[in-house]
Amino acid sequence: MVRTTVSLSELPEGSTATIRDIDSLSPTSQRLLDMGFVPGTSIRAVKKAPMGDPTTFEIRGYQVGLRRSESSLIDVEINPDDR
Amino acid sequence: MTGKIQRSVYLVGNPNSGKTSLFNAMTGERRRVGNWPGVTVQKLEGITNTDLATLTICDLPGTYSLTPATPEEEVVLKTIDEAATGCIVNVVDIANFERNLFLTTQLIELGIRPVVSLNCFDSFTKAGGTIDLQKFSAYTCTTPFPTVARTGEGTKNLVEFIGQNAAGISSDAGNWLSLPSIWLDATEQALKSKGLRWDSATATQRYAALSDLIRLHPAQIIPELIEIRQNLAKKLSEGRERPVKTTDLACELASDRYRRIEKLIAACAVVPGKNIPAWQEKLDRVLTHRFFGLPMFALMMAWIFWTTFSVGEIPMGWMHSLVEALSDFVQANMQESLIKEMLVGGVISGVGGVIIFIPNILILFFWIAILEDSGYMSRAAFIMDKMMNSIGLHGRAFIPMIMGLGCNVPAVLATRIIDNRFQRLLTMLLIPLVTCAARLPVLVLLCGTFFPENPSMWMFSLFFVNLLVLIFLGQFISVIFKTTENSPFLLEMPPYRLPTPSSVFHMLYEKGAHFVEKAGTVILAGAIIIWVLSVFPREVPLSCDYEMQLTQLRSQEATDEVTAKIADLSHKRDIELLEGRYMARLGKFMHPVMAPLGFSWRETVSLIPGFLAKESVVSTLAVLYLPYSEHTGDAMRKTGMTPLTAFVFMTFTLLYIPCIATLGVMWRESGSTRFTVLCLVAYFAIAYGVSYVTLKIGTVLQGSSGMAWFEGMVIITVSLFAGWYLLKTFIVTISGSKCNSCASCNSCPTKSKQDCSGGCP
Repeated sequence: MVRTTVSLSELPEGSTATIRDIDSLSPTSQRLLDMGFVPGTSIRAVKKAPMGDPTTFEIRGYQVGLRRSESSLIDVEINPDDR
Repeated sequence: MTGKIQRSVYLVGNPNSGKTSLFNAMTGERRRVGNWPGVTVQKLEGITNTDLATLTICDLPGTYSLTPATPEEEVVLKTIDEAATGCIVNVVDIANFERNLFLTTQLIELGIRPVVSLNCFDSFTKAGGTIDLQKFSAYTCTTPFPTVARTGEGTKNLVEFIGQNAAGISSDAGNWLSLPSIWLDATEQALKSKGLRWDSATATQRYAALSDLIRLHPAQIIPELIEIRQNLAKKLSEGRERPVKTTDLACELASDRYRRIEKLIAACAVVPGKNIPAWQEKLDRVLTHRFFGLPMFALMMAWIFWTTFSVGEIPMGWMHSLVEALSDFVQANMQESLIKEMLVGGVISGVGGVIIFIPNILILFFWIAILEDSGYMSRAAFIMDKMMNSIGLHGRAFIPMIMGLGCNVPAVLATRIIDNRFQRLLTMLLIPLVTCAARLPVLVLLCGTFFPENPSMWMFSLFFVNLLVLIFLGQFISVIFKTTENSPFLLEMPPYRLPTPSSVFHMLYEKGAHFVEKAGTVILAGAIIIWVLSVFPREVPLSCDYEMQLTQLRSQEATDEVTAKIADLSHKRDIELLEGRYMARLGKFMHPVMAPLGFSWRETVSLIPGFLAKESVVSTLAVLYLPYSEHTGDAMRKTGMTPLTAFVFMTFTLLYIPCIATLGVMWRESGSTRFTVLCLVAYFAIAYGVSYVTLKIGTVLQGSSGMAWFEGMVIITVSLFAGWYLLKTFIVTISGSKCNSCASCNSCPTKSKQDCSGGCP
């Protein structure tokens, strides 16, 4: 199976993915980790805001809005059925 | 009360987990509760009694993690040691179990055994969730209590338990959430390098050691810990495909915590498969729609303004006749004296002139409460973020801004939810430009008088002018300081909830009481001072002997002509008297400054008490215009105020210096006198400039017709934009270019990439 990782900011609306990696150098990362954005977690892009940014994601049963600058710190693997 | 145990109880938990609701349910207080994160920005304290103990309950700001990202979250970490000596109640929103248990895990790792309030238990069971409380208690060594803080269910048991027992259970064997030995060993070593031991270290010291271990940024790593970190990474790598690097430690720890949480939940609870009901997503799809989201938001705002003004006019009329009736009653039933004069001319007309706006304020807050409680406020921040970002603000800044509509003081406090200091100061600077409820009376009075055909439209246009100023200033400052550096944007979307009547009522009660209190104190004092200034000195040299003429007229037969003459004469006398008083002298002394804006000395004077409280502008006007007419609006029109001057005056009132309370909090929150003084000067200059430009535009619009005014309008608009653009380009040119000024900016070779997104080539 070929694994395709993309940045979370490129995850299309409505599709589900699994978190693979998170940029450890950004100061934002600690907060993202604490909120449950850890590798192996499943995540879904719910909705983009009217002007394309930010985007709401659903993770661990709650919804959170992230800007492109935050979501680009996270690498995800899009689930096969959604590709 | 002697013999009872005194105990301090601290509520900690995620934002929007229901801490403040629980606080209210436990203490019977009426604190503001909203359905969006960050409503509590300071510690709140309340007292409750059980049979055995007196509990002092302290509501701490919500935080996702002990690692602070904002100043308000720091409060929690700073209080932890103090809290560990009392009793910590960890409020866990069970409908959002995993993420809420993260904070619980952190507390347990540090050796704290909180009492766990499993909140929102009703929606959890309703969605099909079950939990084995005995197992949960056994695996976490804590005492769980299912609660529904909104209705108060379960809180009685919780309070009684805290009253009976000392903090938590101390037995620690087999706790599923505590730190695994690999991590514990490393933390112990880290503590040892500081000369501390795990057993005797405080929670804060343990926390500091652990967080030093997992620091992400290379520059922050403490040299003594490098070896410990490498050993830790090596140990964690055992049996893995991919070796763990030291930079992965933070990620490893978070993953480990979530693994422990998942294991715990799997062992003792059945969590409903889908937490967010389908209808909520459908509603979200409509409310944050790509094309309709923003127009709907604008419509909602317009609706709020319309009801505040047009619908509010009806009860306002009632209040008005009530105040008039009171005034007439005093007039008719009291002996002629200075006290009576003060009651009628100072207290009733001054305070009454402000109190009649209660309906408008209540309507405004009714809608704000609905928006907050329903969960729409977070969606509004979500759809507004891009726009807020373009004026250099964080989407979160939208929340204080909206709060500013009510009162600027809590809005300034609410800027604590923004973690970046510059962003915080910028938001603070812009907040006084948001029209607070106290400025509403001026708008309602003048719009109603001078634009009777369509007052809400004019009011809206004033808000629009205000908004433009706000945007321009925000842009301007962002450009000067060339910072588009943003704090992390993490905006939780709470589930939609039906606002409860009691919560809405609490908000209305709180705001109404606040307003009445202000009217009874600051405004009362202001009104009396103004009254004193406007009736003293008692003896004023008059141009002719009015009393003698009046006596002569009164002795004549009371024909219509004579009555009219009497009225005319006493009116002239009153005006002449007023102009000889201290107030008029003060006004005339300051008048030259404001004259270019077309204000009379009365308006000039009314702006001074406006510094104490903005509502006083109207009460002062009411006192000053009393000799002309009972109805302030009519009086203003009679003395020659035009709709244009009224508009300019409103613009000025909206923009000029904030009230003393707002300035006070700004000074305290910014911790900088220079910043506060600069703001003060800036507001005045801006208000003056904008009002002047508005006056000129208005004059052009009025003075000519057809193409001429259109041309004038175009010229002014174009020159405004051109001026602003030139200034902007000029600044960009002299200050280098605009870049993201990210962390690596100092070493950035180009400083020109507009979108380097944190990494420079």
